[in-house]
Amino acid sequence: MTAVIADWSAVSPFGIGRTAFAEGLRAGTDPVRELAADWDSPDERAGVLAEFDARAVLGKKGTRSMDRVTALTVTAMRELTERPLDAERTAIVLGTTTGSAQSMMEFTGSSLTGAEPFHVDPALMPNVVMNCAAGRCGIWYGIKGPNTTVAGGRAAGLQGLQYAVRLLAAGRADTVLCGAAEEYSRARAWLERHARSLEQSPEYGAPLGEGAALFTVCREAENALAEILSVRSRVVLDGDPRTALLACLRGALEEAGTRPEEIAAVVSSGATGLTGRAERAALTELFTEQARGRVPALAGFGDLGAGSAAFGLAALLATPGRDIGELAVLTSVDRDGAVGCAVLRTL
Amino acid sequence: MSSNSATRPQHRVVLTGLGALSSIGIGVAQFTEGLRTGRSGAKPISVFDASGFAHSTGCEVTGFDPDTSIHNLDTENLGRATALAVSAARMAVQDAGPEPETLDARHGMISIGTTDGASAELDRLIESELEDGPGAMDPELAARVSPARLSLAIAQELGLSDVEPVTLATACSAGNYTIGYGFDAVRSGEVDYALCGGADAMCRKTFAGFYRLGTIAPECCQPFDAERKGILTGEGAGVLVLESLESALARGARIYAEILGYGLNCDAYHQVAPDEESVGRCMRLALENAGVKPDEVDLISAHGTGTKANDITESRAIRAVYGEQPPRTVSLKSMLGHTMGAASALAAIACSLAITEGFIPPTINHVRTDPECEIDCVPNESVPARLRIVQNNGLAFGGNNAVVVLGSYTGEGR
Repeated sequence: MTAVIADWSAVSPFGIGRTAFAEGLRAGTDPVRELAADWDSPDERAGVLAEFDARAVLGKKGTRSMDRVTALTVTAMRELTERPLDAERTAIVLGTTTGSAQSMMEFTGSSLTGAEPFHVDPALMPNVVMNCAAGRCGIWYGIKGPNTTVAGGRAAGLQGLQYAVRLLAAGRADTVLCGAAEEYSRARAWLERHARSLEQSPEYGAPLGEGAALFTVCREAENALAEILSVRSRVVLDGDPRTALLACLRGALEEAGTRPEEIAAVVSSGATGLTGRAERAALTELFTEQARGRVPALAGFGDLGAGSAAFGLAALLATPGRDIGELAVLTSVDRDGAVGCAVLRTL
Repeated sequence: MSSNSATRPQHRVVLTGLGALSSIGIGVAQFTEGLRTGRSGAKPISVFDASGFAHSTGCEVTGFDPDTSIHNLDTENLGRATALAVSAARMAVQDAGPEPETLDARHGMISIGTTDGASAELDRLIESELEDGPGAMDPELAARVSPARLSLAIAQELGLSDVEPVTLATACSAGNYTIGYGFDAVRSGEVDYALCGGADAMCRKTFAGFYRLGTIAPECCQPFDAERKGILTGEGAGVLVLESLESALARGARIYAEILGYGLNCDAYHQVAPDEESVGRCMRLALENAGVKPDEVDLISAHGTGTKANDITESRAIRAVYGEQPPRTVSLKSMLGHTMGAASALAAIACSLAITEGFIPPTINHVRTDPECEIDCVPNESVPARLRIVQNNGLAFGGNNAVVVLGSYTGEGR
């Protein structure tokens, strides 16, 4: 069986919706901006949505205790629910790093600083569990099929896509709303700053980004945008993501029945640091320069974390002038040792 | 994709290796003994400073030395949940028989479920931030917060590169989610084997949250009891080896049980309260997928948290599906506490052992069944039983339900 991508949406520093993302990408707008003081962040700049307010976007009802990553996801899913969906036969598959590190750390923090250790806000309890955004989307849109959260770091987007394709293949859903989201927060900024300090990398200071990119995936659809030919993942054992990614790519290309020179577009996840260098090395080894330059690079978005591969796919779909039948490759590399790739055909 | 459900042969999927770390025993032998004797894992919480809470009983894993089972990774650099997961995976692979080198020649999946991921580490990081400022956080600890490491570390410890590493963070039903994912991938032939399960470590965040919700029991967990007072938070890890029946038979492996099918759904109703109708629908989905009629099921391992809301909702949903005479329905959380992402994985292991060893583990701490929970929970003492089909329930925040159906393997075709 095959699976196709029928629709997509994104909430990005360019704004809400697929049009805003496509236009920002086309215009070459720099999504990284100076951070306002109220972020209280160690970073000066990041690829954040300016003035994103869940209450203004989604209404007051149900948003009072909603955290940022959940609000970004619920907002991004709105466009995909404009077409009719069978509630029980529609699944949600969402990639994340660790949900909202900010929500988790604030919650524990209030236990440590409150007059009593149990002085935590019960309304915030759902936010400290990683499946909050996916579960909340289910409630918001009344979607009752499988509801899955894939905690895969930078590899989450493609792992989620693979999960979605399997759900369809096994007949557990007819439609999967799948993708990934990452929020920018003070907590994430500090965690990332410390984690990166272990790596002697020239890109130590690369900015962080945020957003949610989601796709409607089904077995077949009229006017589908792309066909998913293969999704593969693998583990880095020797500390060098390049070899693992090459093995992963070769497997995926073989499964898709194609060869590197037939690939017209290559979208890297834009990893930073040493993992990014390894990702670029593998792609340079296999693919033409033209293919690698076909889709606007996401590196300028800042490190999108779990959102990186999903935004790579969104960027591919937003790139105008793709020919029917054109083959594309997406890759992702995570510093903890996961690599992944997908081969798609434009429809 | 290569998975063509229409034309490809579908493999039967069996369980051939189990690894368990729990508050009632480390390793399958101790775990089985704990289940059979109705051991309680409850003890005072020691892994975080619980002073200031009026009561602080939990189900910790004690006597766990990661270095006895983890040989290749530096255990100093593993978070507690990751160490538990890796250790359980080592045990499961050893139990199943094949050398990791043999596995490495095949294409596999490692899928681990979790509720809290690295929350135990995040707790320590926020503690350090509050004491010394955010600039003083330990970078090693900060680099460890991605729950993706739960499945990746297993691959790295076992030296497996050609595996799909997937951490599923569907909260307290995550263990069943991973078993379902492994089942589909082995069944379609896309992977040759799958190491599935769940892991979580005790953390302040979750304890404080449940405590504030008024759902932490002071001393013991009493699912389905009229006087039940809530959950005990627990920790642990369970990993199961899944492979096709052909593969297991070809290498002469011991088969604990067959996975007959599973069901997933979402309540789409409330973030923390379960929905009776939807929970019932998930059980029906699982039975339908397994090709099993309700009257063929011999035992249900309930989600059975011991809270007022869960136990009434779940037992009503069971009666809605099974009618007036539902199968015996036990809660392992009476013994293990709520081990979060590990809960339904440890329960699936317990179900497999119940089938293989021929007994029903009890629901302990039981005095009087709540008239609103009209089920036979097998109070306090295990009973011998020949079990053919067992259903394992997992429910979660976000309305993420997952139900797995296991069957005894007798060599006959189903």
